[in-house]
Amino acid sequence: MLSGLVPTEYYVALSALVFVIGAVGVLTRRSAIMIFLSVELMLNAANLALIAFARQWATAGAAVALSGQAAVFIILAVAAAEVAVGLGILVAIFRYRHSADVDTLSGVRL
Amino acid sequence: MDINWLVISPPLVLLITASVGVLMGLSFRSTRPVALLSLLGVLVALVLNAQLFGRSEPLSAFGLRYQADTSALAFNTLILLGTALVLLVSFDALERGLGGSEYYPLMLLSATGGMVMAAAGDFITLLLGLEILSLAVYVLSAWRPNARESEEAGMKYFLLGAFASAFLIYGIALMYGATGHFTYARVVEQLQAQAFTQTALATLAGAFILGGLAFKAAFAPFHQWSPDVYTGAPTPVTAFMSVVVKAAAFAALLRVFALVYPNLNGALTQALVVLVALTLIIGNLAALTQRSVKRLLAYSAVAHAGYLGLALLAADTDGGARAVIWYLTAYTFMNVGAFAVLSLLTDRNDRGDDVERFAGLGKTRPYLAFAMTLFLLSLAGIPPLAGFIGKIFVFQAALQAGYTVLAIIAILTSVVAAFYYVRLISVIYFREPEYAEVGSKSAMTGVAIAVAALATVALGVVPGWWYGLLGVGRQLLAGF
Repeated sequence: MLSGLVPTEYYVALSALVFVIGAVGVLTRRSAIMIFLSVELMLNAANLALIAFARQWATAGAAVALSGQAAVFIILAVAAAEVAVGLGILVAIFRYRHSADVDTLSGVRL
Repeated sequence: MDINWLVISPPLVLLITASVGVLMGLSFRSTRPVALLSLLGVLVALVLNAQLFGRSEPLSAFGLRYQADTSALAFNTLILLGTALVLLVSFDALERGLGGSEYYPLMLLSATGGMVMAAAGDFITLLLGLEILSLAVYVLSAWRPNARESEEAGMKYFLLGAFASAFLIYGIALMYGATGHFTYARVVEQLQAQAFTQTALATLAGAFILGGLAFKAAFAPFHQWSPDVYTGAPTPVTAFMSVVVKAAAFAALLRVFALVYPNLNGALTQALVVLVALTLIIGNLAALTQRSVKRLLAYSAVAHAGYLGLALLAADTDGGARAVIWYLTAYTFMNVGAFAVLSLLTDRNDRGDDVERFAGLGKTRPYLAFAMTLFLLSLAGIPPLAGFIGKIFVFQAALQAGYTVLAIIAILTSVVAAFYYVRLISVIYFREPEYAEVGSKSAMTGVAIAVAALATVALGVVPGWWYGLLGVGRQLLAGF
């Protein structure tokens, strides 16, 4: 059924790469906004993996494949909610400090 | 798809109360009407939750995605009791200067998420519960107006929390890749199947999920956020985080650990053993050097996560699961109590939580000093208080499951722990007061302290009834 298509392993490898890039970004970036973008990258890596796996699991029946695809939408919604809350806190800090550099947060340890 | 309204009614009541509370907050200057409404909502949810106890038929909703088994009901009781106590503590603290009636709906939403997490029978439900719980707490920890450390706490907690949940989500995606399912029952079915070949992928998924949840439970070395966030957040919110968030995290860990992990590679259990040992040692040693009582209690919360983790390792035995719940029950009361006392000693904007504030408290405010002593002794595990019995259950479960070395580490570190708790008690009674007039008075907080103190003593003197109640009816964690 999957013959002629890009194998699932390739997608999962790409998603792992994106996830690692995101994780490294979180650990090395200093701007809160860039850290946050890196987290989004990690979430999207998970989505990519879910879609690739869902295509693979299509052989096990539509319900199994659809549950994976539905999970992608749930994770997108979760990411959107995180953006709303995160940017709210960020704006509150930025309003009096005029900087989004996390190193100026005393004692921040990642 | 079955929607069992009765089963999901307790979190639903909280959700509705929170929604009404947001609208109601717009029409009152004072935060008190919303506080009373929230308290009412929590009490209704408690009653609805209590009447589900002891039923013989399996209770679940949305397929097996929401499971109200005895474990979930017990954890939900704890979450609701913890929330109720924190609402009482917040009642006057908010009027004194923290302001903003949206505080209460956010707290209820967070508790809703915690209840969903405790009853989750599915990785996606677990994730949704975790996010509902966390997003509200991120905002609450940044709640103190014009306090730099509070906004920093919110930011730190948010960034690290989002990072941790990304790990959890990736782990869930990998678990789906390995088994094709999200529901624990189906995942376990696949893992146990003869033809299962994706062992490596499933183990990797388990590691990611463990990492994500260990962050919420504040296991060392994932605990570094907790002292900063606990110190920065308003004291009532710190109390909320230390009991409700912890209860929800351990509820989720308990279910995953008892059901899914026995079918994965044993290396993951070994990883948790290392985490628990580190948590016990780091939490207790770091607490020794703290000058701020809030920070001391934060590290003590980390250390208590270690004792809970010890019971968690024995999660697939009935005694282990019961020990986790029992210990959390004791911990909920004594920890909320300690933070409630602290909230009466700090100033309007929650500043001033150093040890000197407690000097001479035995003379200036004897009742408060007595209550604090009770909570500290219970946290230290002195008989006959609740904390002591909790530790007995935990050590018993750990020894039965064969974790002798870890149990010895736990006993040694609890001796260290007794030192820093007793030192604070000696400051309360044997040092002269350094502040003329400390803190504030609040009848509602007084009620919360009294309830917590009574429960701490009662659980210690008659530990059997709650322990026995956990064994009534169906098995603790629903099988399939």
